[in-house]
Amino acid sequence: MTSVLRYEYTVETEDLAKTYIMGPITVKALDGVTVKIRRGEYLSIMGPSGSGKTTFFNMVGGLDRPTRGKVYIDEVDIAKLDAYELAWLRARKIGYIFQTFNLIPVLTALENVSLPMIFAGVGREERLARAKDLLERVGLGERLDHKPAELSGGQQQRVAIARALANNPVIVLADEPTGNLDLHTGLDVITLLKTLNSEKGVTIITATHDLKMIDVSDRIFWIRDGKLERIETRKDVSVRPVARE
Amino acid sequence: MRNGKDACPRIMKREERTIIFPIGEAVSFSLESIRRRFTRALITIVSIVLGIAFLSALLTISRIVVALSGPAAGAEALPSYQLWMAIIALLVCGVGIINSMLMSVTERYKEIGTIKTLGAEDIHILELFLFEGAIMGIVGGIIGGLAGWGVAFAIYRLPAQSPTIVAAVESAALGAVDIVGYSVVLSILLSLLSSMVPAFMASRLNPVEALRYEV
Repeated sequence: MTSVLRYEYTVETEDLAKTYIMGPITVKALDGVTVKIRRGEYLSIMGPSGSGKTTFFNMVGGLDRPTRGKVYIDEVDIAKLDAYELAWLRARKIGYIFQTFNLIPVLTALENVSLPMIFAGVGREERLARAKDLLERVGLGERLDHKPAELSGGQQQRVAIARALANNPVIVLADEPTGNLDLHTGLDVITLLKTLNSEKGVTIITATHDLKMIDVSDRIFWIRDGKLERIETRKDVSVRPVARE
Repeated sequence: MRNGKDACPRIMKREERTIIFPIGEAVSFSLESIRRRFTRALITIVSIVLGIAFLSALLTISRIVVALSGPAAGAEALPSYQLWMAIIALLVCGVGIINSMLMSVTERYKEIGTIKTLGAEDIHILELFLFEGAIMGIVGGIIGGLAGWGVAFAIYRLPAQSPTIVAAVESAALGAVDIVGYSVVLSILLSLLSSMVPAFMASRLNPVEALRYEV
């Protein structure tokens, strides 16, 4: 193994599978997915509803245990982590963005963004300063003290993006981040994600139906019936001419 | 050959194992949550107030009676059936707290799931719900303790005519102020105990299931 590029792959999965048993029927939500995701990559996972995108996500994010197979994050097999280490991983290495934003309704934008830093043990002063910084960066510097209900959908998702970045994660997992947004705000969110991806070098993995996402993705994984159908790079799918690299 | 975890530094250090929710943040979080469900919190607090006030009044009355008619009146001053009634009132109010906290947990499945994905450990969730219970316990205990004490005092002070009796009632009542303190402590214990089960349930939620849950 190379020792120079220590974590060339931020996420690796090996034969990842998840089976749900629902009464008499077993559902193979995910059936043997092996992928390697490079550091700093912008990746989209596409596929119809029920294809296993969200299951893949939950597994990579350490939220759910696979039935079979392995997930490595920065070369650590997450199945071997105890509850505390998993929480540690979620707090510091992974940022989550949800379709339904999932901001805490009783907290202001600033408090929402600083929440993950509490779990990472960041002191109060630094927490608030960093949260303010992040909110300014996503263009919400004027709305620090607004509660989620006082913000539009696009603004809420931007707060969620700032929250996902709070602890400088190596991976941001975004499950249908534009699913509840209109075309225009959806595009804003995608642009923001792409900017953060190129500026901070954070690996972004999105599960999506949104074809707008293709333009900014480095690679696209097509998933169908729990299996990886094909992997495409941007050049394969883009209709626009792409400059040679 | 992959050696996984051993190849890279352990992702955590031992001394970091002690992160707890900073008290200030936890309290403000819990206060906000109470404010959001104010009516229900109010009903719960009222039930605590009633239970605690009942007990506090009984105890204060018994102190005043003893002061007025001598220690021999002790057994008469606080008949055991009255004490039992107070205890049952407190049990009922404990069940009320459990109920209201369970509703609060169910309503906040998604919130709990989100906080867990952000890196919260079970203990953090436990802390948040226990704080919520404790806050209701403190408020209910202070109001209830004072109210019960005040009512008991008024019952004996208002009809009293002769200055000696007035003085005796006043000094006995003042001497019984410690009962307010006990009431507050009891109320906090009761609320914590009742919040324990819902808080524990909340802390054990699986984040994936909690996120999927729709109210």
